[in-house]
Amino acid sequence: MGVAEYTIKRTIQAVAVVYVVATVVFIAIRSVPGDPARLILGGDADADAIAAMRRELGLDQPMYVQYFRWMSDLLRGDLGESIYTGEPVIGRIVGAAEPSVSIAVVGICIAMAVAIPAGILSATRQNGWEDYVATLVSFLSISMPAFWIGIVLILVVATRVDAIPSYGYTPISEGIRPWLLNILLPSLAVGLPYAGIISRMTRSSMLDVLSQDYMQTARAKGIPPRAALLKHGLQNALMPVVTVAGILFALLLGGIVAVEIVFGIQGFGRLLIRSIERQDFPIVQGSVIIVSIIFVFMNLVVDLLYMSINPKVRYGGES
Amino acid sequence: MATDHRPQDGWLHTSIGRLAQLKQAVSGDPKAIFGLGVVTVFLLAAILAPELAPHDPMAQEFGIMDPPRIVGIDAHPLGTDSYGRDLLSRIMFGARISLGVSLGAVSLGALVGVSLGLLAGYSGGWIDDLLMRFVDVTWAFPWLLVAIMLVAIFGQSVWNVVFAIAFAYIDDFARITRSEVLSIREEEYIAAAKNIGVSDRDIMLNEVLPNAVAPLIVQFTVLVARAMLAESTLSFLGVGVKPTTPTWGALLGQGRGLIEQAWWISIIPGILIVITVLGINLFGDSLRDAFDVQQGESV
Repeated sequence: MGVAEYTIKRTIQAVAVVYVVATVVFIAIRSVPGDPARLILGGDADADAIAAMRRELGLDQPMYVQYFRWMSDLLRGDLGESIYTGEPVIGRIVGAAEPSVSIAVVGICIAMAVAIPAGILSATRQNGWEDYVATLVSFLSISMPAFWIGIVLILVVATRVDAIPSYGYTPISEGIRPWLLNILLPSLAVGLPYAGIISRMTRSSMLDVLSQDYMQTARAKGIPPRAALLKHGLQNALMPVVTVAGILFALLLGGIVAVEIVFGIQGFGRLLIRSIERQDFPIVQGSVIIVSIIFVFMNLVVDLLYMSINPKVRYGGES
Repeated sequence: MATDHRPQDGWLHTSIGRLAQLKQAVSGDPKAIFGLGVVTVFLLAAILAPELAPHDPMAQEFGIMDPPRIVGIDAHPLGTDSYGRDLLSRIMFGARISLGVSLGAVSLGALVGVSLGLLAGYSGGWIDDLLMRFVDVTWAFPWLLVAIMLVAIFGQSVWNVVFAIAFAYIDDFARITRSEVLSIREEEYIAAAKNIGVSDRDIMLNEVLPNAVAPLIVQFTVLVARAMLAESTLSFLGVGVKPTTPTWGALLGQGRGLIEQAWWISIIPGILIVITVLGINLFGDSLRDAFDVQQGESV
């Protein structure tokens, strides 16, 4: 199978997966007990008003009509409106995304900056004390809930250092410094477990590369170890790390949602939790769909990138 | 001859071989000893909570937010919470739910995932395609949002948490099982078993599955650790069990707003989560070394 053919096949599969997810969400939301019309109007609304609201929302239509209308809205990027504020769902989600994306990106940057050197050190000094320390710290960090790290950071850092706030968020448009100070602790909380995973991966990938023939050859040719490591080793070792780093991006979600709650940040997580509490289902279903689209296509891009960097990987491979 | 074939022998033999490997792995490795020790202690504390816990976990009869104190009549080794309940007792009862939910969820995910993977890998063709696309769909649902939707539909309960986490792990088990099956399927003894008329079902369960067991055990361990973190996150967010249920995540969440007055309410359950998850992770890593398994690397 050629590259183009493979790309097309995988893209169609990805679209199909998202379609099924959206359909399941449609069915699931309609299984939720309670009438959205009654939710909007409040408990003491009279029957006529509720009937009128049901008509307005299209809930009096047969299920298949609702389904087609919902799907065609979805295809046009219309995820409906919030039950409470009437704002478009997509606008609410995009509006709440900035703090969440900031935390994710800064968290990943911190994690990579710490974890990749730690992993390399761990591999090149295998079974030395550096390796043991790095291994212990990595295992500790992957064993901590991100939100708990956040609580500990508030207790240890924010209550002592005045410059670092423990609460809220400043948009990046109001200056890099206040923005960064505000998201520093949340990013650390999200990034630390991530760093543990990346450093373990870097270590095992690096150990793998160090035992390869071309590294032996480089050594035999008299290339200094450091140069061989940088030129041949690192490039090959980091490839799987970077691709997995991409997939893990999606896995950060749970951590980010809880960390936002800890730091009182009005991001995507807050929006989500608040929408559930208020039974604002259009926002909940919109969030599920958007997150799965990001999930599926991120994975697709990572896969395709991996294949294009490493032609040895078989197209349509068995895994 | 065909009727004399007892597939159970093969299964037993392979399983015993695996167990011997397991024992060897555990006996020499400090990581495994630490991990097993931690898990055993916490499991015992959870099982024996009604016997061992010093107080009723629901009784609100003590001083409010008493700091940890080991001696004296008002001794609460881990302090009390904002309702005057004994934290140690709550933590011991909470361990039942936190450990039970994690083990239950991963077992359920394993049951479904392994079945799907076996069937897909062994059947091949369109069945394989269909099942693996289903697995793709389960994978594409963010677990947190699955949990949230379940709570929205069915209300708060322990089962939502179990189902949401199990759902998230189906794809891990299915993919590993399938890829193991694909490599085992071509072995000669499978062809031999087919020739003497062993049914597909028996071949799958008695010949193929035991040989795929090593990576599955490793994956199981790693995912139990991850499930504990997921459970604590859900309870913390209030998406999981009822707020009155003392899971470790929920206990931690209740102490969050009181961090400056009563650090122990959120810090101590957190430390216990970390120790438990660390123990399971180290044990899993030791198993991975012993079985020489590549999969499940991403913790």
